[in-house]
Amino acid sequence: MIEVEGLVKDYGTVVALHGLSFRVGAGEVVGFLGPNGAGKTTTLRILAGFLGPTAGRVRVGGHDLERAPLAARRLVGYMPEACPLYPELRVREHLAFRAALKRVPRRERRRAVARAMELSAVTEVADTLVGHLSRGYRQRVGLADALVASPPLLILDEPTAGLDPNQIREVRRLVRELGREHTVLLSTHVLSEVEATCDRALVIARGRLVGEGTIEQLREQRRGQRVRLVLGDPAGASEALIAAASEARLLERADLGEGVVRVDVRITAVPAAATIEALVARLVAAGVGVRELSPVRASLEEVFAALTRAGDPAEAAAPLDGPAVEAAGADGGAG
Amino acid sequence: MTGILPILRRELTSLWVTPLAWVLTTVFLVLQGASYYLVVRHLSTSPELGVDAGPVQAYFGQSVFLLLSLLLLCPALSMRVFAEERRSGTIEALLTAPVTPLAVVLGKYLAVLATYVLMWSPTVLYVVILRDTGVIDWPVVGTSYLGVIGIGAGYLALGVLMSSLTRSQLVAFLLTVGIEFGLFILGIGEYVFEPGSLLDASMHVSVFTQMDELSKGVVDLRRLVFDGSLVALPLFVTVRVVESWRWG
Repeated sequence: MIEVEGLVKDYGTVVALHGLSFRVGAGEVVGFLGPNGAGKTTTLRILAGFLGPTAGRVRVGGHDLERAPLAARRLVGYMPEACPLYPELRVREHLAFRAALKRVPRRERRRAVARAMELSAVTEVADTLVGHLSRGYRQRVGLADALVASPPLLILDEPTAGLDPNQIREVRRLVRELGREHTVLLSTHVLSEVEATCDRALVIARGRLVGEGTIEQLREQRRGQRVRLVLGDPAGASEALIAAASEARLLERADLGEGVVRVDVRITAVPAAATIEALVARLVAAGVGVRELSPVRASLEEVFAALTRAGDPAEAAAPLDGPAVEAAGADGGAG
Repeated sequence: MTGILPILRRELTSLWVTPLAWVLTTVFLVLQGASYYLVVRHLSTSPELGVDAGPVQAYFGQSVFLLLSLLLLCPALSMRVFAEERRSGTIEALLTAPVTPLAVVLGKYLAVLATYVLMWSPTVLYVVILRDTGVIDWPVVGTSYLGVIGIGAGYLALGVLMSSLTRSQLVAFLLTVGIEFGLFILGIGEYVFEPGSLLDASMHVSVFTQMDELSKGVVDLRRLVFDGSLVALPLFVTVRVVESWRWG
């Protein structure tokens, strides 16, 4: 449905996207995940045809966005980030205008508007001026706007931003429902949103794709990279051994008494398996008893933090675990 | 060119459900009424002046009020078309719909032009009132309206362009007034300049001469070509400006 190749957006003073490439297949619900300022909105605006890319190619439903912009845009229902609407129009008028603009045939327009209002639960405010609506309703009218022409592809920029928890749940339910008939690409910086609504996530940071896959695959990327060892080590040799290993770093060491220590080790090699084996062999050879070895399952927040910080030279050296991750965990709630 | 009609209708709705169009129409009609009243009273107290031009000719062709009111009315009518959409962000939804920039510009332009024509429409009554006092030459009335619509069409196109250059309605208004006032002053040059290219230029852009001629039924194609280019050129540039936003 969407094919993006080598997308570059240069705003003159800031380069927002550095050669972004990804694909979204028909029928998928994909979360576009990244911290604020990662280039999510820029990418979605390019996909919707509002901005032109500095370089790179975008195809929507097989139509090149530069060569056949109208054909491509007809396939897209786009909900911009701030959800701009005409305040002087009534909800019904606004949607009727949008339907006409999106070339819904005159005879079907009334039904299309009614259906979009029904789906996004704004029927009860159909005759209210858009300017008098609360934030939650405006957001849902924006969603109805994106839906009104029943486009095969929905691009939603932060559809739950600024909503209260009930409304968020409602919008997520709607997105899941829409995902059965439409391809959906939605952006968010909230992880639990992706987990709740999406089949797959694209993680971007500083204009680059840093992770891609299902939620499980993303977790998998981090699993096993942090391992917990319980060692019988009366001589205290393990610390030096781990420090000497080139692709492992000691994160935490706790003395459990009677010569038993628990250590958490980050394995920086990918895949980590060979390094773990080598490390264990070296420990055993040095007379350290390995009593337990377990992978520490990465929380989604940890994955997010690690992925989005990975390419950042200033923070690459910073530890990926510890208090920062816990702080991030408070925001999303999933893990 | 699909998309023009919905945009035109949306613009008209927005203009007429908000006070702007009503306020402008009221001010405009008060000014025109006063101007017409002065013309008719002047002619009725000094009938000998009516030999050259009847009240219709005097009203359309010799009144500076009429032209001055257009200098403020047209910029106020056109100032919001793009500035407002860009300030509020609705332009993003508009330009991501399957419509071309040309359709967007034409839809918006035709909406303000239609509003402008609507504002003029009650003034037809002025002429109807005169029916009993003499013979009305309707074709000449027609060319008079052709004149004011031609001037307004050019002014509105300039205003649409200025509105696309800024997010502030006030700036758009002031820019448009500035440029139109410049053209207006240049037109006055026909009474000031020595014969030469400057005089030719000022005669060419003079709205006084245009209205004087058309109010007497003299249709000079050069006037219409000038008005037409004052519509086409700004609108062409506006389309380019709208396209350029993609690269902002």
